[in-house]
Amino acid sequence: MSTHIFLLELRMMARERAAWLLLALFAGALSYGYWNGHQLAKRNSEAAETALQGSEELQRKIREHLSSPGKAIPVGGRGGIAMVGFLAQLPPAPLPVLATGQSDLVPASETVSLMRLTTPVSTRSEIENPSHLLAGRFDLAFVLIWLYPLFLLAFLYDLMAGDRETGTLRLALSQGISPAGWLCRRTLARAFPVVALALAATLLAGSDGYGTRLGAALAVILLYGLFWATLAVAINAVSNSAAGAATSLGAAWVAIVLVAPTLLNLAAESLYPTPSRPELVAASRQASGEAEKLGDQLLDSFYKEHPELAPPDKRADYVAMKLTEQEEVARSVAPVLEKFDKQLLRQQQTVGRWRFVSPAIVAHEALTDIAGTGYWRHRAFRGQVKAFKHAISDFYTPKAHRREPLVLADVDKMPQFTFQEEPKSDWLARVSTGLGGMLAFSAVIGCWALLSLRPRRLGAAIG
Amino acid sequence: MTFSIARKEFQDTWRDGRFRWAAAIVLLLLGVSFLLARQQVEHQRNEREDATKMERDNWLNQGQKNAHAAAHYGVYVFKPVAPLSVFDRGLQPFVGNTVYLEAHRQNQAAFLPAQDATSMRRFGDLTAAACLQLLLPLLIILLAFGTLAGERESGTLRQVLSLGVRPASLVFGKALGLGGALALLLLPAAAGGAYALSGISGMDAAGEESALRLCLMACAYLLYLGAILVICITVSALAPTSRSALSILLVFWAANAVLAPRLASDLAQWSHPTPKMADLDADLLEARKQALNSHNPNSEAMKEFIEKNRDASGKLPANFRALLMQESERQTNLVYEKHFGGIWDLMEDQDKVVTWAGLAAPLLGLRSASVALAGTDFTHHRHFSIAAEKHRREFIRMLNNSHGASGRELWEKLPPFRYQPPSLSQAVSTAMPGLIILCLWLAGGCAALYVASRRLKPS
Repeated sequence: MSTHIFLLELRMMARERAAWLLLALFAGALSYGYWNGHQLAKRNSEAAETALQGSEELQRKIREHLSSPGKAIPVGGRGGIAMVGFLAQLPPAPLPVLATGQSDLVPASETVSLMRLTTPVSTRSEIENPSHLLAGRFDLAFVLIWLYPLFLLAFLYDLMAGDRETGTLRLALSQGISPAGWLCRRTLARAFPVVALALAATLLAGSDGYGTRLGAALAVILLYGLFWATLAVAINAVSNSAAGAATSLGAAWVAIVLVAPTLLNLAAESLYPTPSRPELVAASRQASGEAEKLGDQLLDSFYKEHPELAPPDKRADYVAMKLTEQEEVARSVAPVLEKFDKQLLRQQQTVGRWRFVSPAIVAHEALTDIAGTGYWRHRAFRGQVKAFKHAISDFYTPKAHRREPLVLADVDKMPQFTFQEEPKSDWLARVSTGLGGMLAFSAVIGCWALLSLRPRRLGAAIG
Repeated sequence: MTFSIARKEFQDTWRDGRFRWAAAIVLLLLGVSFLLARQQVEHQRNEREDATKMERDNWLNQGQKNAHAAAHYGVYVFKPVAPLSVFDRGLQPFVGNTVYLEAHRQNQAAFLPAQDATSMRRFGDLTAAACLQLLLPLLIILLAFGTLAGERESGTLRQVLSLGVRPASLVFGKALGLGGALALLLLPAAAGGAYALSGISGMDAAGEESALRLCLMACAYLLYLGAILVICITVSALAPTSRSALSILLVFWAANAVLAPRLASDLAQWSHPTPKMADLDADLLEARKQALNSHNPNSEAMKEFIEKNRDASGKLPANFRALLMQESERQTNLVYEKHFGGIWDLMEDQDKVVTWAGLAAPLLGLRSASVALAGTDFTHHRHFSIAAEKHRREFIRMLNNSHGASGRELWEKLPPFRYQPPSLSQAVSTAMPGLIILCLWLAGGCAALYVASRRLKPS
C-alpha cells in the first residue's frame, strides 16, 4: 500500500501538463541562478588573482632591488616603503556559486600602508550599480530560499483540501489507510521532483575538497524543503478548500520569506544602532589635528618611553613624527571604533539568536556560511586585516625611528597577509544549530498536523 | 447601476473578515515602518549635521600651514539625508555618504551604510514604500480573485446578468467598490505618513517642494494600485474558476515583485556591461600619468608647461607656481570627469533599461518614479557627487590663488559646503518614464477590463 500510493501519485503527476511546466520553470530558474552565481564567482576570482599578481610583482621588485650590492630602501622619504601599499586579500570563497552573500557588497581586499594606518579607508568593492545591489542577485541561494518553497507549495497546496471540497477524501480514506499515512505518501511523491532538482543544483555548486560544506548545504536544502512540506500538510489538514489552503500557504510564505527577515533587521538596527560613519570620520580627523599640534611633545614622550628607538641626534624626521602622531590618533579613536564594531557584532548576534523565527533566515545564514560568503568570514577578514596593520606597524615603525633602511635580509621577515580560514567546527556549529532549530520548528508543525489528522477530528471536518 | 453595484461591493468587502485581518496587518506594518524610519532619518540627520560642524571646526583649527598642505589635508563633506527617505529609502543604503575633497584627486562617495549592516539587509528593507509595493497588491489579489469567478462558480453571476445588468456596469462597479474599500484603508496610512513626515526637520526648509513631491508619489502609487486592481478583476472575469484566477494572480505577483527586479537588473547589466574595477583603476592611472602633475618635475608634461610659460627672456612668471597647480588641477579634473562621468552615464543607462522593463512588470516603473521623487535614486546621488566636486574645485582654486597667505583667515574664506538638492522639475523629469509606464498599465488594464466585460460568461 505504502509504495502503491507513492507511485500512483507520481504517475498522476506525470500526466499533468502544469506539473511539467512548473518543473521546467524551476529547472530553468536553478540553471540561471547557477550561471549567474558562476559569473560573479569568476569575476571575484579574477579580481583576486589580478590583485595577488600585483602584490607578488611588488615583492619581486623589492627583492630584486635589494639583491643588487649596496642597495637599500629607506622607510621614509621619496620612494620609501612607508607609502607602499601591501595587499590583504580574502581568498575566493569555498563554494561561491552557492550564494553571493556579502561578496558583491563588502570588499575582499584592502591595501595597507604604514603611513595610512588610521586614515578612514574608502572601502570599495567591484564597481556595482547600486540599483543592482538593491534588487539583489538572481543566484542559486535566491532560487533556493525564495523560489524553492514557492514551487514546492505549488505542488503541495492541494494535497487534501481539494479532495475534501469535492468529497473524494471520504472515498480515499475508506480504503483502510490512515489519513496521516495517505497524506505523507502523497506529499513525498509530489515534493520529490522539486526537492531532487534543488539537491542536484546544490550538488553542481560544489567544489573539490569541500565535501563537508557540500554535505551541510544538501542538509540545509533537505530540511528547508521538509519544513515547507510539513507546513503544507498542516495547512491542508485544517483547510476546507484548495483556494483557502493556497491563500494560507501564500500568506505564510510572505510572512516567513518577505516580512520576518526585514522586521528582524529593523529590530536589530533599532536595538543596537551603530554610531554614524560621518561622525567617526570627523572624530578621527579631530584626533589627527590635535595629534599634529602636539607633534613635538608626543615625540618627546615617545622617546622617553622607547629610548632604544631615539635617533642619535634626537631629531626625528617627517615619517617618524607622522608615525608618532598616527599612534596617538589610533589611541584616541580606538574606543569609538570599538563601539562601532561591538554594535555591529550585537546586531548580527541578534540576527543569529532570532533567526529561528523564520526558516528562510536560518537557510540564508546557513547557505552563506557554508558558501564562505557570509557575515562571519568577512568579519574574520576585517579582524585579520587589523592584525596585519599592527604587524606592519611593529615591523616598520622601529626602523623609521632608527632611520634603518630595508635590506635584503629583511625581505623574508616582511609581514605578509595570509588569511586563516575559520575552523570547521565554528561554522559547522552555527549551521547545525540553525538546522536543529529548523528541524524543531518542523516537528512542532508536524505534531499540529498529526493532531489535526486524528480520525476523530478529521471525521468531524469531513462530515 | 454602476454605483449601486459599487456600494454593494464596498459593503461586502468592508464586512469581509479576511479584508479586516489583512488590512490590519498591512496597516500595522506601515505604521511600524513609518515610525522607525522617522526615528532613523531624524537620527541620521542630526548625526550628519554634528559631523559637518565637527569637520568645519577641524578645517578652521588645522593651524598654520602652507596653503597647498591644507589642500592635501582637505575636507570631508557629508551627504544630507533626503526627508522623503522616511517613505522610500531607495538606494541610500547602497551609495556612499561621505566624500573626501583633496588636492589633485576626485574621490567617490565612500562608506555604504549597507556595508555596516547585518546579513539580513539583503532581504530588503521594511519601508512604507515596500509595504505599498509588495504587500498591498497581495491584499488586492486576496480581495479581487473571487469577485467574478467566485460568483460564476456559485451561480449568482447568471442570476445578476439575467436581471438585465450590463456586464460593463457590473465589472466597473465591482472595481469601484473594491477601490473605495482600499482607499478607505489608505486614508489612515496617508495620515500616518503625513504625521511621520511633519516631524522631520528638513521638511520645514523645503516643505512646499517636499509636499509636491509627496503628492506626485501618491499619484504614482494610486496609478500602480489601480492598475493591479483592474488586472485582478480582469483575470477574475476571464478565469474559469476562482482557484485558477488565484493561481494566475499569485504567479503574476511573484513575477512582478520577486523576479522582475532581479531579472531587469541582469538585463541592464547585460545590455550595458559594467567594467572591472581593476581596468578602471589602470585606465585612470595611465590617464593621470599623461596629465600634468605639479609634484613631478621630471615629466614631459611639466617640461612642456615650463617652456610654454617662459617669456622672451626665458624667465617664468612670478605666479608660476599658482599657474602650475591650477593647470595640473584642470588636467586632472578632465581625467576624472571622463572616467567617473563614463561610469555614472553607464549606471544611468542601466537604470533606464530597468525602468523601461517596467512595461513588462509595473513594479519597476513604480520603483523608478518613487525613488526619483523621494530623492533617493542614482540621479540624486550623482547630483550630490557633482556638487561636492564643484566645491572641491572652488576650494582648491582658492588655495592655489592664495599668494602665500595661510592660517585661519584663509581657512575661513572657504565657505562651508551647502548642498542644494535637485529641483522638483529635475526630479519629475527623472520620474516621468516611470509615471508614463504606470499610466500605460492603468490604461491597458482598464481596456482589458472592458474587453473582459464584453466577453463575460455567466458559466
